[in-house]
Amino acid sequence: MRKHWLIGGLASLLALAGLAFIQEGPQEPPGSEDMVEAEYPSGQPIAFPHDQHAGSQPGQNNMDCQYCHYSAERSVSAGIPSVSACWGCHQAIPGSNNPEEVAKIQQYIQSGDPIPWVRIYKVADHVHFPHMRHLNAGLECQQCHGEVQELQVLDSRDPAWGGDNMGWCVECHRQPDDTGKAQASTDCTVCHY
Amino acid sequence: MAENKSMKDGIKRRDFLRVLGVSGAGATLTGCSTEKVERLLPYVVAPDDITPGVSTWYTTVCGGCSAQCGMWVRTREGRAIKVEGNPNHPVSEGGLCAKGHATLQHLYHPDRFPGPMIRDGSELRQVTWEEAESLLVARLGSAQNPMLISGRMGPSLNKLVDEFIEGIGGVRVSYDAISDAPLAEAARIVYGTAGIPQYDLENARFLLSFGNDFIETGSSPVAHNKGFARMSSVDAAGSKGRFVYLGPRLSLTGLNADKWIPIRPGTEAAVALAMAAVIAGDDPQAAGPYSNVLQAYNPQVAAQVAGVTEDVIFELAEDFVSEAPTLALGPGVGAHHRGATAANIAVMILNHVAGNVGRTVLYDAPVNGAVSAYADIEATVSAMASGESEVVMVHGANPVYSMPPQAGFAEAFAQVPFKVSFASALDETSEMADLILPDRHFLEAWGDSSPLAGVISVQQPVMQPVPHFESKQTGDVLLSVANGLSGQGDAATFYDYLQEHHRSAYDEADGDFEDAWQELLRTGMADTRREEVRALELQSPEIALSFEVPTFDAPGDLTLLVHPSSRFGAGEFSNSPWLQELPDPVSKIVWHSWLEMNPHTAELRGIHEGDIVTVTSPHGSLEVPVWLYPGIREDVVALAMGGGHTGMGRYADDKGVNALRLLPSTSEQPSGALVTTVTSVTVIPTGENRRLATVEGSSGDQHDRLIAPAVALADLGHAGDDEHEEGGHEELRELQGVGGFIPVPADGGAPTAFPLEGSRHGLYADAQEGPRWAMAIDLDKCTGCSACVTACQAENNVPWVGEEQVLMGRDMNWVRIERFYEQVDATQAGDLDVRFLPMICQHCGNAPCETVCPVFATYHTPEGLNAQVYNRCVGTRYCANNCPYKVRVFNWYRYTDEVPEPLNWQWNPDVTVRDNGVMEKCSFCVQRIREVQNRAALEGGREVRDHEVVPACEQSCPAEAIVFGNIRDPNARITQVSSSERTYRVLEDLNTQPAVNYLKKVTFHEVASVGHEE
Repeated sequence: MRKHWLIGGLASLLALAGLAFIQEGPQEPPGSEDMVEAEYPSGQPIAFPHDQHAGSQPGQNNMDCQYCHYSAERSVSAGIPSVSACWGCHQAIPGSNNPEEVAKIQQYIQSGDPIPWVRIYKVADHVHFPHMRHLNAGLECQQCHGEVQELQVLDSRDPAWGGDNMGWCVECHRQPDDTGKAQASTDCTVCHY
Repeated sequence: MAENKSMKDGIKRRDFLRVLGVSGAGATLTGCSTEKVERLLPYVVAPDDITPGVSTWYTTVCGGCSAQCGMWVRTREGRAIKVEGNPNHPVSEGGLCAKGHATLQHLYHPDRFPGPMIRDGSELRQVTWEEAESLLVARLGSAQNPMLISGRMGPSLNKLVDEFIEGIGGVRVSYDAISDAPLAEAARIVYGTAGIPQYDLENARFLLSFGNDFIETGSSPVAHNKGFARMSSVDAAGSKGRFVYLGPRLSLTGLNADKWIPIRPGTEAAVALAMAAVIAGDDPQAAGPYSNVLQAYNPQVAAQVAGVTEDVIFELAEDFVSEAPTLALGPGVGAHHRGATAANIAVMILNHVAGNVGRTVLYDAPVNGAVSAYADIEATVSAMASGESEVVMVHGANPVYSMPPQAGFAEAFAQVPFKVSFASALDETSEMADLILPDRHFLEAWGDSSPLAGVISVQQPVMQPVPHFESKQTGDVLLSVANGLSGQGDAATFYDYLQEHHRSAYDEADGDFEDAWQELLRTGMADTRREEVRALELQSPEIALSFEVPTFDAPGDLTLLVHPSSRFGAGEFSNSPWLQELPDPVSKIVWHSWLEMNPHTAELRGIHEGDIVTVTSPHGSLEVPVWLYPGIREDVVALAMGGGHTGMGRYADDKGVNALRLLPSTSEQPSGALVTTVTSVTVIPTGENRRLATVEGSSGDQHDRLIAPAVALADLGHAGDDEHEEGGHEELRELQGVGGFIPVPADGGAPTAFPLEGSRHGLYADAQEGPRWAMAIDLDKCTGCSACVTACQAENNVPWVGEEQVLMGRDMNWVRIERFYEQVDATQAGDLDVRFLPMICQHCGNAPCETVCPVFATYHTPEGLNAQVYNRCVGTRYCANNCPYKVRVFNWYRYTDEVPEPLNWQWNPDVTVRDNGVMEKCSFCVQRIREVQNRAALEGGREVRDHEVVPACEQSCPAEAIVFGNIRDPNARITQVSSSERTYRVLEDLNTQPAVNYLKKVTFHEVASVGHEE
């Protein structure tokens, strides 16, 4: 996870300023993610349609986000469904639109391999984002992630997402609550430690 | 804030950075050819007991040493990331030592064997388990006199091994590199009991150690450290127990004594018997069958032998009766000389005549410590050399390294036609093996332990085996090999065997076994000790005993003490970079060995600190740098074990010297233990000098600064009524007297009083709501054991930097244990005053570091933390330069990138792994604060409870010296403790307003009023 540096005309200036951005160490939550060369430069291993599952249009299933992202309410991490969770439904539901994509789940179940989803939403390694605090404060998933239930295959972030920019977080934290005080702390160590 | 103000040239700082950030991003896109994506890998089947992002804790047993402390292991997403003491456990009561923490590094150690290996000429080749096991079956099937050399193991595995060895008609030899055999043998001779007696340190009021280093070595360091701290710290009634250390060298334990009597090596028996004789007085039967022994000893004789005055021994004897309950401890594993059993017997007689047996010395629940006789393994050497044993297996021991080379073990072992090792990682013995069957680490394996008779703990695997290593539990290997030999197909696993072992001992009247088993796994232990105390009679010794001063091999003008290291034991922990970089609690040296020598001795010989000397005994010689130590007799030098590995791995090899090279292979009689205080040496300078890799900056001197003050016991409760209490504020008062230091508010108002109102806990104290985190460290309890240093390193992803970097002052530990000598005299008995002070970021309310940071990377949080925001830090290091406590450390290189796989699996996912160019320091374990606050918020937004946030250092502290909490809560423990009259803050004259309150050490002697000293 090294940063790449431009050694150019602005090299010295950049180097100085760049120091401010390099502190995220290679901190990986164990077991849940990995860095690999992109096999699917623009796509997911399975063309998983969020809208088909969570959308509320006719013919869509209107599932709760947390049915699959099961730990969002009690953990810092929202969780991604196990392959067996997918298979739990899909062994009975072959899928009417893209049965060949659904069939891939069976391959993963049979081989015992995890599905190597491409990660779309991520905050920097030096940011600790506790999902459960936000959900328990009454936020909707969509407030940060955008209307994911209306998207098909996720290959890019919703334009509403501003998670690369701390100002976006702080803006919300600063909003006054009923008593007129900021609704959440803007102290650095709330997120950075 | 300054960052919102326009810079003079009109560009806002943020805009400046933003512009550069954009160009940086563009550069990234054009500068790299393959874009990488990050993968999210789900479980195939989600385990029931794991929630991603939430820790799961398991109980188990520490496999580090024979103490077998209870452990809690924190796992995240199926990986063990931190080990802690189990508070339910009757031995360790929640404490854990530095070695215990470092066992985690052995779990993920890159020098573990990747799988079973077979020797192919000079190379080892990895094979499958089937192949490896069938090879062992074939060799055992035809072997004459197979032998197993085994270290310590739990009761179930022990039973299985016995059955296995009986089945193959072999011989089993137990071997512990460090053994308490003389103590066990003495107890057997004197009372006819088995095992090691248990000591109730906590309830003694006067403790006497005859060279017993119970804090760092011995049968149960954590339990003894805890008991000692409880005994020796001042209680609510203003009373504290006293500790006198007798021995030629102050170990870490010795440094905690109130008085040091520097007796000659090997003279413990004379002093103990003389004391017993004084106590027995005219009673001819006081010592039963040993009464005639006492008649030969009196203080005059003993004083002459030991090199102290008679008065000292009379006084000790009187105090030993008048300050009851008392407790005397005989020479421990660091002081085994040729008379070690006799010396332990002498101390037992002393305890007996003082009425301590059944009171502070308990034989009812013997300690199952390491008591194997060195003589047994010595005897195997000839059996191997003669080719008698065709197969030799080694489990849990490294005799090639841990026996003196004089024993010839390596040469004899090389003669064995087929050598098998069960070592999970490389060491000097497994290096020679023909077949390696790597055992699992204890955190991946089933097992059990019985640290005391009547106490059972189950060691359960806390995670799936580390996938880099195809290891297999030795119990399972033995069962499988036994099947292979017998041709039967018994499918039982070692887990079945273990459970059956406990089921058969279980009384079904106490309920369902399965329920009891689950409860045993959940709590980590079952305590079935009886509450009865047996009266013990002294038994006539079956053999003739000599209490004479033992002989030391000549020639040589200095006696050599070789003692186990408090960090490496006998060398089994040397391959841990955490322990290598943990400053030795006594010398503060890291990574290399040193020879301890009294400064006066060195001066007479023209030796300076760091001079490399040749140490020569009749048995060998080696070169090592000298470290000058006032806590060692002038006629003695000392070397620690654990250095000089040659085949253990990347962090151990070529670090320091192996002190055993100077020793003969001699066992003590009658116990058969290896003698380590056995020879004299000559010390000749080579003419070379090196800088010692030490983290100590001031040679143990406080230089008249108010860093670690003390208060005399007699002065407690008299605050303010003598001039000593002035200490600490003299400079301030002086300055205030001339009007030179009266803060003037920024609004131009009148000068205010000092300290500023509301600044008791910091400049921001009264302006904010919520908690104000603070810490109290009781220096009367702290023993300097350094467990907190390693606990912190494990919790906070603190890197190690290596010897070269330490030499450049770049050590990175967040906790530094300062050690100051106030009063140390190696020439005569006298008061001893050595002070330990754990120095961490003081989280100053008025922090000098904060005001000099140009980018606001360090600032004060509303909760009273001095925060360090890594992603803001640009590495100017101004903060470190301005910190009067020297607690800020800087990442000069990508130390964390160099951590080899899978050692990096240990990293705590809740803490950012810092990279180069970033300053860091103690955060008060802010991640633990956040974890508890998050939990409290989920539980209906309740308040955080007192003692709910426990930083890693406090959790680990065996001495219970550290208290953390919200000091704004008047009922919190931290507030109660901090309100002690002993409370002070380090360098408080600087008006830094630290959030760390120290409680002064309490001494029995008057404290000299040097400088600011109280």
